[in-house]
Amino acid sequence: MEQKILKKDEIGKLYNELASEYNFYAPIKKKGNISFEKIEKPEDILLDYLNSKIPPKSILFPQMEVLFEYTLDEKDVEITDRQDLDQKILIFGIRPCDAYSFELFANFFSSHGNWKDEIYLKKKENTTLIGIGCNTPRTTCFCTSVKGNPFNKENMDVFLTDLGEKYLVEGISDKGKEIVKKLSWLSKASDSDLKKSKELAKQAEESITSKIDSETIVKNLETSFEHPIWEEISESCIGCGSCSYMCPTCTCFDVIDETDHYNNRGRRIRIWDTCQSCLYTMETSGHNPRDTKIQRCRNRIMHKFSYYPTNYELLGCVGCGRCISVCPANNDILTILNKIEKIEKEEDEKVVA
Amino acid sequence: MPNPYIPYLTRVKSVITENKVNDIKTIELEFKKEEEYKKFDYIPGQFAEISLIGKGECPIGIASSPTEEGTIKFTIKKMGTVTSGFHGSEVGDIIGVRGPCGNGWPIEDMKGKNIVVIGGGFAYSTLRSLIIYLLDERYRKDYGDITTIYGNRDSGEVLYKDLLEEWEKRDDINVVLTIDREEEGWTREVGFVATIVKKVAPSPENAVAIICGPPIMIRTAVAELVELGWKEEDLLNSLEARMKCGIGKCGRCNIGPKFICTDGPVFSLAELKKLPDEY
Repeated sequence: MEQKILKKDEIGKLYNELASEYNFYAPIKKKGNISFEKIEKPEDILLDYLNSKIPPKSILFPQMEVLFEYTLDEKDVEITDRQDLDQKILIFGIRPCDAYSFELFANFFSSHGNWKDEIYLKKKENTTLIGIGCNTPRTTCFCTSVKGNPFNKENMDVFLTDLGEKYLVEGISDKGKEIVKKLSWLSKASDSDLKKSKELAKQAEESITSKIDSETIVKNLETSFEHPIWEEISESCIGCGSCSYMCPTCTCFDVIDETDHYNNRGRRIRIWDTCQSCLYTMETSGHNPRDTKIQRCRNRIMHKFSYYPTNYELLGCVGCGRCISVCPANNDILTILNKIEKIEKEEDEKVVA
Repeated sequence: MPNPYIPYLTRVKSVITENKVNDIKTIELEFKKEEEYKKFDYIPGQFAEISLIGKGECPIGIASSPTEEGTIKFTIKKMGTVTSGFHGSEVGDIIGVRGPCGNGWPIEDMKGKNIVVIGGGFAYSTLRSLIIYLLDERYRKDYGDITTIYGNRDSGEVLYKDLLEEWEKRDDINVVLTIDREEEGWTREVGFVATIVKKVAPSPENAVAIICGPPIMIRTAVAELVELGWKEEDLLNSLEARMKCGIGKCGRCNIGPKFICTDGPVFSLAELKKLPDEY
């Protein structure tokens, strides 16, 4: 596949060409935060950003989403299914960690039992990703420790490398190659462009200095459910749930009926939920299987680094570091994982001593 | 595949008050569309997400047996918003049903074995389903001796009285009913379920025991069975948890890497021993 060049001042042109076919999402600045939103004016698109505060999972799995609508009459109910799932979605500017999180979502939503989450899966099928490699990963980034890479192209349809005033453009999937072909006005990339992109990728990978040994962590967690370390880990947690709401791989949701009683209609919706809330598992009887903070903090880590590997031979973390930057109590997942990594070693030392 | 969150629509066909204090009712539902009833192909021990559209949804064990054709039944205790709503429902009202969910009792693996069904209080609903199924003339020959021990606080709490009396008259099931304390007019056993288990002393030879009830009853009854030589893989239990979707998506009913809604709700004690104590 031939690589192309997209000049940064041609983003508007790209938008105009694709926005008629797709709902075009890209990062913008909204209320002081960066998030992926549907673009109305191409000049709103933010190109100079490290990553969005709110993960782009919100496009396919919004904070609040309608499952179906209903009308109620005296003795009957009518249900209306979602009609908008065939719309084509394009996400411009997504980072490799977040693109991979979409694969984890799709895997989870098609596993367990006989039912698949068709709402998510249909949207995912109709989504095209034009992603960008990360030239300057943040200090909280650790994708290279969880089998990712700041220049991982695997889960993208089109991959861009920021070369300063322009992007190097590569079609990755068949869908992506078609799009590149369609944008016939893109100029040709030179050898020096390719060389520079390789250098940037190497530099980016080297700049991620946070390192954890995920294999040791997964292994240690198998025998650490009752370990006293969880008490220490959860001590500073205030149970706000920000880590999971902002996590690109957290899929949990609550379901609620919203009824407009004046007009006898309503909708059953799902909203983001978090295992960090004590209400999450609270039963009507008052019994709560995870009624302590220790249990809840443990569940979050175990889910991503033990239950995920057990069920799918994957890690449930993409190393985006959002949970680190949003935590109001500075509870850093890297610190937590480092402690878990050292568990066995400490125990071995104790035995020797 | 269709949107898995949309329920089938059913109408309430009958409502029966099951206990004296009137906080447990059995509602019988008839599907609006025959083809949807056909799709709702269940076995005893499975549950469904049932909803009052506009109020909410909750997981409830299916109390009817697939051999009782035409309708499905749920026995519901009045607890929160949705279950209270069900208690207020009348014949003809619309109720949404999604499912069947979960694994159910292992009726295939149980073939050729003696079956002991132990229940306490309100937890008898999916046991009702199972016993009706086992006693059905098409399937009775596939199973060995059937014993059921059913305990309640007092006689006013005993569910499915007519059905139990019918079973007592049969010679192909041993029905043992018990209440916690002596009561005038009560001619069956008196004592906690565990005590009666010890007295009946079901043999662990080529047998499966199914135990449902409050945690304390399960613990004490299981202890008696273990004493009698039962193995943990032959002791089956059905778990409950808060659920929203019932289909392994909303996340909250996990015990370790397993979901109660899709890997369960039926687990053997041997399986539970391998999972964290978080249910």
